[in-house]
Amino acid sequence: MQLALVDKLILALYFAFVLGIGWIVKRKVKTSDDFLTSGHSIPTWIASLAFLAANLGAQEVIGMAASGAKYGVMTAHFYWVGAVPAMIFLGVFMMPFYYGSRARSVPEYLKLRFDEKTRGLNAMTFAVMTIFSSGISMYALGRLFELVLGWDFTASVLLSAAIVLAYTYLGGLTSAIYNEVLQFFLIVLGFSPLAIVATIKAGGWQGISQRLPAVMTHSWSYVGKASENPMGVEIFGLFAGLGFVLSFGYWCTDFLVIQRAMAASSMAAGRRVPLIAAFPKMLMPFIVILPGIAALALTQTAGSGYTLPAKGGSYDYDVALTTLMAQFYPSGLLGVGLTALMASFMSGMAGNVTAFNTVFTFDIYQSYINKGAPDAHYLRVARITTIVGVLLSIATAYLAQSFNNIMDFLQLVFGFVNAPLFGTFLLGMFWRRATGHGAFTGLLSGTLAAAATHGLTVAEGKGGWLGTVVHIFPSTMAQNFWIAIVAWTTCVVVTTVVSLATNAKSSGELKGLVYGLTEIPHDAVAWYKRPVPLAIIVGAALIILNLLFW
Amino acid sequence: MGDLRKPSGIFFVILGITLTAYSFTGARAPLTDYNLNLFTGLVMLGFGGTLLWLAQRAS
Repeated sequence: MQLALVDKLILALYFAFVLGIGWIVKRKVKTSDDFLTSGHSIPTWIASLAFLAANLGAQEVIGMAASGAKYGVMTAHFYWVGAVPAMIFLGVFMMPFYYGSRARSVPEYLKLRFDEKTRGLNAMTFAVMTIFSSGISMYALGRLFELVLGWDFTASVLLSAAIVLAYTYLGGLTSAIYNEVLQFFLIVLGFSPLAIVATIKAGGWQGISQRLPAVMTHSWSYVGKASENPMGVEIFGLFAGLGFVLSFGYWCTDFLVIQRAMAASSMAAGRRVPLIAAFPKMLMPFIVILPGIAALALTQTAGSGYTLPAKGGSYDYDVALTTLMAQFYPSGLLGVGLTALMASFMSGMAGNVTAFNTVFTFDIYQSYINKGAPDAHYLRVARITTIVGVLLSIATAYLAQSFNNIMDFLQLVFGFVNAPLFGTFLLGMFWRRATGHGAFTGLLSGTLAAAATHGLTVAEGKGGWLGTVVHIFPSTMAQNFWIAIVAWTTCVVVTTVVSLATNAKSSGELKGLVYGLTEIPHDAVAWYKRPVPLAIIVGAALIILNLLFW
Repeated sequence: MGDLRKPSGIFFVILGITLTAYSFTGARAPLTDYNLNLFTGLVMLGFGGTLLWLAQRAS
């Protein structure tokens, strides 16, 4: 793929704007709170779009197009069964505790609700995960630009890292959030034309439906049996694994996204953030999944002029998006598409870096290393942590380059940690009898149970490292769903048993942290801005989408 | 910081003008029959203009 001068100018224009936003925001950053939590002053619509964009990394954009080509419209379950219901739950039920507790981070909430060791465990694992996640995002960017544009891997990694570092160092969370909104607009406007022209070229949805097997264009009709659909998952695994544990585990407990909602100006606004974000989220499959489905349909249409590259007896699904761009985007729009891709990498990376510096500064440095220092000191530590976070991410990007399975491994570790964490939060927020000892042992047991399940089962040659294989899954996706189910269940059972055997905190200590002991202020706003009516509207729209693609 | 709609609006207006102007060079992609630069440029121009108008109205 060759870039024209106009494409390079568009990329340069984007870099200038993101750096400019960082520079302007810098003047408003006076305290560590401004830098790390935006001083709880972000308007709702901005926080909502940032909430989405922080998750809209390039792995998501490229990965969902690849999954669309591989699994068809069933991939939309990640949004319509997974993300959106979890966002509704977060907005209606969980935000009052996050916001009402006045915690500055998710680990800090765990400290207030449970104890120091539970916070420490979560802070450490989260810090490591965000660095690896950011590094892998960088690695993916470097590899993509190396393959597609012939750019040097190191140059791509260092350029993106330098820009993210510059604007997060200057303006902290506010700068990251403001840039994420710009990045969100760019991603939507940059990829929508591709979805439209590729679908038209494939004959519209009707043409795609005629060219592909029915299982690729129906989201629910083939989930009765794992053997009948390309994902290899059955309805229980789909609902319990993806729809409940994995999605709720990510959207309701991952500080990377929660941080954006917590930056809103009030509890009512914080509750609206995930609910408003749910509207664009449920439409994202049309931008990120549809091009992949259209790519497969075009491949199976003689004379279409487009073919997915082959790889190992199948197709190289990972390049669906970039090969479509090369064939359908002229110079100019190609620059916009690549800038959108760069934007998605950078929003994912900045999201991880800002979550990392907050958790490190508040939950590790201020809690264990240097308590009671002046605020200016913590602001300096937060800025230094931003630099360290980016440097560690670069190192991780090179580590990922050396180990070809590190991405799979980390994806798995993510599941190991987030699934049991959701069990801990569910009990912590809705059962006042849950104790710190229970939460800590539950979290550890859930993670160990996840590892054991992976070690005792096999899917597509992965897992089974404990020597004995007790079950073979039809796909790694099914394996991941079941690992999450086992991890969550183990965490809930162990937390419950240990909690019943240990002393709980008093009701006074749990005020603002647990359901039944937290006062949820009545929202004096129009009915359509209140969480429950908003959730009902989101839910109804979600049902309609599912029925349309049944 | 001021209203985010202002810098975003300016960004998309510049992008829209660039694409619209570039569309007259006749650049085409291998599999596209439409003048995508023109259509997308106009959409971005409209979007950027709307953001600026909203920011102006709010101030």
